[in-house]
Amino acid sequence: MKRNLKIAGIMLLVVSLSFIFMAGCAKKEVVKEETLMAQEEKAAEAQAAEKETLSTEQELAQKALEEKERLLQEAAAFEDVYCDFDKYDLKTESRDTLRKHADWLLNNTGFQVILEGHCDERGTREYNLALGERRSESVRDYLINLGIDTGRLTTISYGEELPLDPTHTEEAWAKNRRVHFVVVTEKK
Amino acid sequence: MRKIGLLIIITALLWSSPVWGKVYIDINAPAFQRFPVAIPDFKSLDEQDDTEKLSTKFSNSLAEALKMTGFFRVIDKNAFIENKDEAGITADTINFHDWSIIGAEFLIKGGFQYSNENLSIEFRLFGVVEGDLIVSKKYWGTLDEMKIMIQKFTGEILLALTGEPSVFGTKIAFTGKKGKTSDIYTINFDGSDLVKITNNKSLTVLPHWSHDGKQLAYTSYRRMNPDLYVMDLSNKEVKTISRFKGLNLSGPWSPDGSNILLTLSKDGNEEIYMLDLETKKLNRLTNDPAIDVSPTWSPDGSKIAFVSNRSGSPQIFVMNVDGSKVRRLTYEGRYNTSPSWSPKGKVIVYEGVTNGSFQLFSIADDGSNFVQLTFENGGCEYPTWSPDGRYVAFSSGEKGKIRICIINSNGLNLRVLHEEPGMEAIYPTWSPRLQLY
Repeated sequence: MKRNLKIAGIMLLVVSLSFIFMAGCAKKEVVKEETLMAQEEKAAEAQAAEKETLSTEQELAQKALEEKERLLQEAAAFEDVYCDFDKYDLKTESRDTLRKHADWLLNNTGFQVILEGHCDERGTREYNLALGERRSESVRDYLINLGIDTGRLTTISYGEELPLDPTHTEEAWAKNRRVHFVVVTEKK
Repeated sequence: MRKIGLLIIITALLWSSPVWGKVYIDINAPAFQRFPVAIPDFKSLDEQDDTEKLSTKFSNSLAEALKMTGFFRVIDKNAFIENKDEAGITADTINFHDWSIIGAEFLIKGGFQYSNENLSIEFRLFGVVEGDLIVSKKYWGTLDEMKIMIQKFTGEILLALTGEPSVFGTKIAFTGKKGKTSDIYTINFDGSDLVKITNNKSLTVLPHWSHDGKQLAYTSYRRMNPDLYVMDLSNKEVKTISRFKGLNLSGPWSPDGSNILLTLSKDGNEEIYMLDLETKKLNRLTNDPAIDVSPTWSPDGSKIAFVSNRSGSPQIFVMNVDGSKVRRLTYEGRYNTSPSWSPKGKVIVYEGVTNGSFQLFSIADDGSNFVQLTFENGGCEYPTWSPDGRYVAFSSGEKGKIRICIINSNGLNLRVLHEEPGMEAIYPTWSPRLQLY
């Protein structure tokens, strides 16, 4: 009997010890679980937030790109500035046109302009290379006066080499004596 | 470029020419009449059958070469009365009366030997009136080198009669524009050996020879700006010479080869500069808010003629090489451009508008002797002098079909040098004398 008691005592001890052990373990596991969950949740939350930011950013970039595209298209339709034969001074209507272009450029700062100077076929070719340059310089200087940063403006003359209308009529010549705007996105 | 290297052509002075007093005829004078010359068929000297009809081929080729110079009127063979079988090719076997009676002032006799691909030709130029031998030469080579022998003797004839050899040993560089791009080409004076020099797939314009003919300067848009390059013709190596923002227009090299003139717009408008090719020092020569462009050197390198619109419309001006003493040269007409100063003196040719088209004019550097040189329907532009000052090449024709032509400096004897369907041949520039053969 005394021996049985002893066994029971030991068993009780073992059981209670294991209870204590188990309880300890159980408690620990719960804490552990909670921690994990919190971390997971935080990570997920962060991920979700990140996703949200990314998609907004992408959307914004996409939108900006589309806007840029739209603006470039708008700029591609910029009216040419026309000059008289052997002249490079700006006519009144050219000044009006240029003010419009300048407003646009002031509103849309992320763009640069290549000013292409062209001539009709009637002059001397080499002289026309100079004349075309001079026409684009006139436009450049006027735009600078209207507040456009000089660093955004490049001139290039093609003389009479790239006519818009290759026919040999007064109308064609008038069309060909032009400064053409090529608007490009700013080089970073 | 074809190099003749198989057989060296040896020339020999067969007889000295003591009789011909060196009184050169001024072939540039307006009253100059072309030399009437008779060229009978050459004699086969080794009595062999002339199966390849060389006898006629040589006389005809020589006639063509002489006509090309613009200074000879070759008398029709049908007019000849000489007894071919009796007459020889030396003075003692020629009856000069047979030639003076048909109006010949000069007679060229030739003989040849041809066997096993080896060819020798001897040429003799006689003055018909005195019956004197003016110049004679013998050349040895192959049949392929016939053209060279004939061009060489043509040079001897011109040297003997005028004091200066022919320009068969020169080339003309030009811009060939097809559609929206153009490249530089070169071609020989006789229209042979067309070579495409650049392949830039962009606008490439304004070729200018170095003084030794070994390099070509030109302006190309290949990097999206009209920049100035120089190509070494021996290895096609290209150097960038000037890359300022805006225009970098190629201009002529100084007579001593040390400097090149160019037009730059880097300072806000078009000005003429001189670049020392050794030190890279850039000297601005013009200083005017107007357009200044198209410079050309006087032969001694002390003056420069150029185009400016400082007086309202484009006109030709002359200044000293340091930019001082600017004076206006042209007053006739509203639009005068593209001056080219004769390498032999005081004459400047240029293009000017008259009756709605461009024609060539010449004027002395003091403004005197104003003459209209051309009257072509399609117009004439961009004149360039031959190095002997006897010819002017230029571009002529309607847009889309522009060709290169050559005239004598008095405006006569127009010859088409190069014409190519679909190409505008523009900006011709004459080389100095080259060692072609």
